Amino acid sequence: MAVSVPSDLWPQVERLLSRVERPSRYIDHEWGAHRREMAAYRVALMYPDAYEVGMANQALQVLADRLREIDDIAIERVFLPWVDMAAAMRETGVPLFTLESCAPVADVDLLGITLSNELTYSNVLEALDLAGIPLRAADRDDTHPLVIGGGPSAHNPEPMASFFDAILIGDGEDAVLEIVAADRAAIGRGAKRMERVRALAAIEGVYVPSLYAPGPDGRLVATAPAPGRVRRRVLADLDSYPAPTCPVVPYADVVHDRATVEVLRGCSRGCRFCQAGMVYRPVRERSADSIVRDALAGLTCTGYEELSLTSLSTADHSQLEAVLRRLVARLDGTGTAISVPSLRVDSFTVPLARLLGDGRKSGLTFAPEAGSQRLRDAINKNITEEEIITAVEQAFTAGWRRVKLYFMIGLPTEIDDDVRAIGALVERVLGVAREATPKAERGGLRVAVSVSTFVPKAHTPFQWDGQVPIEEVRRRQGLLRESMPHRGVELSWHDPSSSLLEAVLARGGREMADGIEAAWRAGARFDAWTEHFSLGRWLEAFASVGIDAAEAASAPYIQGGPLPWSHIDSGLAEGFLRLERSRTDSATTTPDCTFEDCTGCGVCPGLGVENVIAGGGSRA
Amino acid sequence: MPEGFKLRICFRKTGPLRFLSHLETGRAWERAARRARLPYAVSQGFTPRMRIAFGPALPVGTAGEREYVDILLTRFVPVAEVTERLGASVVPELGLVKCGYVSPAEASLASRLTIAAYEVEIEGGSPQQETERSLVTLMGTGSLSVEHKGKQKVFDLSQALPKEPEVRFVEGRTIIRMWVRMGDQGSLRPEVFVTAAVGRDRVVSVTRTDLLIDDDQGWRRPL
Ligand code: SF4
Repeated sequence: MAVSVPSDLWPQVERLLSRVERPSRYIDHEWGAHRREMAAYRVALMYPDAYEVGMANQALQVLADRLREIDDIAIERVFLPWVDMAAAMRETGVPLFTLESCAPVADVDLLGITLSNELTYSNVLEALDLAGIPLRAADRDDTHPLVIGGGPSAHNPEPMASFFDAILIGDGEDAVLEIVAADRAAIGRGAKRMERVRALAAIEGVYVPSLYAPGPDGRLVATAPAPGRVRRRVLADLDSYPAPTCPVVPYADVVHDRATVEVLRGCSRGCRFCQAGMVYRPVRERSADSIVRDALAGLTCTGYEELSLTSLSTADHSQLEAVLRRLVARLDGTGTAISVPSLRVDSFTVPLARLLGDGRKSGLTFAPEAGSQRLRDAINKNITEEEIITAVEQAFTAGWRRVKLYFMIGLPTEIDDDVRAIGALVERVLGVAREATPKAERGGLRVAVSVSTFVPKAHTPFQWDGQVPIEEVRRRQGLLRESMPHRGVELSWHDPSSSLLEAVLARGGREMADGIEAAWRAGARFDAWTEHFSLGRWLEAFASVGIDAAEAASAPYIQGGPLPWSHIDSGLAEGFLRLERSRTDSATTTPDCTFEDCTGCGVCPGLGVENVIAGGGSRA
Repeated sequence: MPEGFKLRICFRKTGPLRFLSHLETGRAWERAARRARLPYAVSQGFTPRMRIAFGPALPVGTAGEREYVDILLTRFVPVAEVTERLGASVVPELGLVKCGYVSPAEASLASRLTIAAYEVEIEGGSPQQETERSLVTLMGTGSLSVEHKGKQKVFDLSQALPKEPEVRFVEGRTIIRMWVRMGDQGSLRPEVFVTAAVGRDRVVSVTRTDLLIDDDQGWRRPL
């Protein structure tokens, strides 16, 4: 295979840097950045948002590390330039560039793009356009890179399907190596673009949209060699895949600027609204030894002052306390803080929280999600009001002064009493927090409440439910505001208009692509940034292609009927999802399969895997 | 800084890394010290922090050839060893120039360093004499009024520039060397002075080549 040296855009980029904000986003040369000048195959991995958001993405670092094991290929990072830089680039004719070689993204062989949430979809189009790559896969030719997506939002790939040549469903650690190998082999055979793309369809977990077309009942039907349903890729265990210990250390102040170790993947709590909890099953805990080893190696290599033990539910790790104890002993006196993303109230203990260095300063975060016990049971949150109250009481008695509570409104079966119950619960929390705090310190006491709007997601028991219409969400917000204690609570809202867009893009089918393109043409980008988001622009764009977005967000799907994601096999049995949905109506809970018996979600037998608990056996 | 061993590091900030902000540069050195496993001292309190202090900020986009940072160590580590470990913990564009120990009692870099030397490269075109003449003419006016965030600020040039700027030709490039006095009142930005002298849009690059102490022993480097 020909070895190529990419063209260097740096002299042109450099000239733009003195007139843009935060130029350090574009300069590479961080500690841990790798540049491979001569390479037989070039891969660019992009997070479609600003550098400071994208650098926090662990998945891209994991994939880059895996690919770097192949010694004659180059792996480079790409982020979306901020609006000022994009304007300067367009004005001067500088195309989207990779960071390490500062080379045109359009010149790589494979461009991988993370689909981490719906609000970055317009950014994908902006990036392709800046790169000079045709937006639609169908319009690309042999001179363009293969554009491959993957990530959490890919579990309903359809709205973005026509912009991608292929989309990976599930864990990427092994699949990326197979994708690169298959493509290099195809190029070696002299394959043309269509043949290169078809070759990818043979890899488990890879969805090639162009090989699927709507059948008589609306479901997408595969053409050979693509499988009828694309089975989600899943790793049997994590221990054979070390966490990235020498990731790139940014200069800029980025989100989650710290060393991270993924301590487990998957969550078996079974919250019915949670897509991640469904599609990342089963639970795979990393062993205590490998967590401690990778954490220490990561801190040494990066020089970070903070370590985060990440996962969907870190406190559920069966050996977390032992891990923390070992880490605290090793890091004593180094000024290194340890953090976990959020705690469940039923796994909160004072000794555990004490081990988390600066916890008392930053406060505790709990997510009861719903105010009433009935609704918490209906969504299978599996925590009681008493557990919440006890956890808060213990925390404040032990010296904590701040707690943040997350709730959602618009959950299926929610009625006005459930909304008011949030206010009542917050009132009780505030009361015990005050009681447990010495009088002199009550001034520093903070109870923060953050409320978001429920977004129904594919592959969950709520996948058939529509979203509550936005006018109704606003009415319930009013109800909630009235029911809140008037003093001592910091109430914040997640904007329901961006949740509406999320619902449209999370639930829609291929027809959404025209709306997404129209919105991007009308200027949509950086939709996750409040100052750039405009629901009006999106609604108009959808309307211009004949889609009523409000209707698309709120219309339910019929159980048993086709779903836009019917051809994606996440491993979950449809019967399980239906049963879980019916238990919602009766507010019946389902236990956690790492503490009790298998509850029959279908993932383990369907994908040939099982729960991996670090100490062996179950967590009970 | 109290008891301990005060390590003074002289470093460069060049190439693409001249676009780092002061804060970003600081964080980079803090992390480099951790990577080098220096026995740095940490502050007391809920969130212990490394005892580290920087010299005067370098504007984003300006390169630096001799910038300084002090880190308080709890243990003495021989200079050769620090040099080796620290040198291996940074990228070349933010490279270690040299390091050494100074008295822990010494005043902060920010207060000691009062003279900054710069090299401003300008786009060629005019002959050396002409450039020299424009500098001399501007110096001769005695003062320069600068607009900053909507406010006018008047610099007394004999105060702001304690030494006459010089013009040099190096390999076809025109370089103006100048020395700027820094103080609490802010200092004159070299590119502002040069633009006022030779006209707009001619500055190609600005490099701070040295930071100096000015006391009864004259001008000298802090290390
Ligand atoms: S198949 Fe059973 S054990 Fe496996 S994740 Fe599903 S419920 Fe849990």
